[in-house]
Amino acid sequence: MRIHLVSHVLDKQLVDRDGENAGRVDGIVLELRDDKPPLVTYLEVSPITLLSRFNRRLAEWYARKDRKFGEKRGVPFRIPWSRVTQHGPTLDLDLGVESTPINAFEDWLRVKIVERIPGS
Amino acid sequence: MVTTRNDSRLKKLTQVALGIVTSVGGFLEIGSITTAAQAGAAFGYQLVWSLLLGTVCVAFLVEMSGRFAACSTCTIPDAMRERFGINFFVIPLVVMLGVSLLVLAAEIGGTAAALELATGIALPVWAIPVALLAWGLLWRATFSVIENGVSLLGLVTIVFVVAAVKAHPDYGAAARGLVPTLPSTNKAHYWFVAVSVLGASISPYLYYFYSSGAVEEKWDASYVGVNRAIAAIGMSFGGFLSAAVLVLGAVLFHPFGKDIKDYHDLTQLVTPILGRPGFWLFVASLGIACLGATLEIALALAYLVAQGFGWNWGESLPPKKDARFSVTYTALIAVASLFTLVGLDPLKLTAISMALTAASLPVGVFPFLILMNDESYLGEHTNGRIGNAVVLGISAVAAVLAAVSIPLEVIGS
Repeated sequence: MRIHLVSHVLDKQLVDRDGENAGRVDGIVLELRDDKPPLVTYLEVSPITLLSRFNRRLAEWYARKDRKFGEKRGVPFRIPWSRVTQHGPTLDLDLGVESTPINAFEDWLRVKIVERIPGS
Repeated sequence: MVTTRNDSRLKKLTQVALGIVTSVGGFLEIGSITTAAQAGAAFGYQLVWSLLLGTVCVAFLVEMSGRFAACSTCTIPDAMRERFGINFFVIPLVVMLGVSLLVLAAEIGGTAAALELATGIALPVWAIPVALLAWGLLWRATFSVIENGVSLLGLVTIVFVVAAVKAHPDYGAAARGLVPTLPSTNKAHYWFVAVSVLGASISPYLYYFYSSGAVEEKWDASYVGVNRAIAAIGMSFGGFLSAAVLVLGAVLFHPFGKDIKDYHDLTQLVTPILGRPGFWLFVASLGIACLGATLEIALALAYLVAQGFGWNWGESLPPKKDARFSVTYTALIAVASLFTLVGLDPLKLTAISMALTAASLPVGVFPFLILMNDESYLGEHTNGRIGNAVVLGISAVAAVLAAVSIPLEVIGS
């Protein structure tokens, strides 16, 4: 099956193996090889990648801020292309979103704010 | 086999009935009530055509968004981000958030106005209780409770039809108003009111909300017929409610040269005809209609953001399962309630936000029409020529009229 990177992969909804939404494809990483066609290696899911599609300096500013939150932060999160399969209107990931930083802000909001409000 | 087919038919029939009820009960809100009343008060039956255009356009849009959700199992923001990319998606995102936030503020103001009319306690006092009530309902209730519950209560707005019939309007003049004519005086204001009526009828949040609802209720392509019936019948009846409000303005205000300057004037739409019970039915209509719209707009905007960025979303999930989505509607309601808290007049807010809605229509509608013609989403159910032409034509006319009449209205006042 033919697949177009920009229309069928970029900006598509990602779903993890438990059916949880895992953000959208913010960027695609290609590996350029000598004398061979480029190879898709990773998908990036990160506000840094998303912002870099508008303005590089904005993305760099965000990355600097993000770096303060932990060792692995400050760089876009990458998912190996080998762990992605197409499924209906979404792309499925062969991993659990909780093992990634994709939903870090969601988790922070849940623990710090939402779960402290009755009825959540 | 036979029983399951009958069961599914019965289920769909129930869906149609419920869908129509919710469309009718949820049709009126501060925008459609005040713009229709102002149109009737200022120009008699002359602006009925703008209601007709608006209602036809919104019926087509609602039908399209339901068909889109049923056939693609995607919501509109979902597809918009995917099809056009983030660099384009931010434009409708920012415009809709900005404009709809003002509409949300107007609806909270309308609910507070109803409470002021009922209790005599000043409007700004109600900003925080209304915000808390709306937020609490979204926080605790599921999607079907919100949609069906509020809309069933919203059927009280039928009081406008009862009052309009009892007011013995000139039906011939009302019918003649279906054909656009130019007024002899006050031309700039005429176009501004026409634009506000169009903006109030064709609210983008309405069809975004509807499409997310269809996805939440897991519609599939077999719902195309159900959806068409709901959109056509529900929106037509809804349009009748707005027409009834316009008629009341035309009968009770226009002949006496009275204007609707203040939300207190709105009670005079029903009270002179139905007396004290009419007053209370009006207050209930205004309060429920505006509260219902508050919930729908807050949800529609939270859907827009969550779907655009691929977050977890769903009004039927508990907030801890979709924290970003829940925090988004919470923040929107909090910000929108500030307008009422500082005492801004809900009618002024309505006038501005309805005109801006009309002006910004193409930003949401044009990319939506591109999606509606894309076979990769809709298969064999893509738009026909008539649907494309009607929606494109009416929203372009609304936007052009808005671009011309808003500056004139600002200069004029």
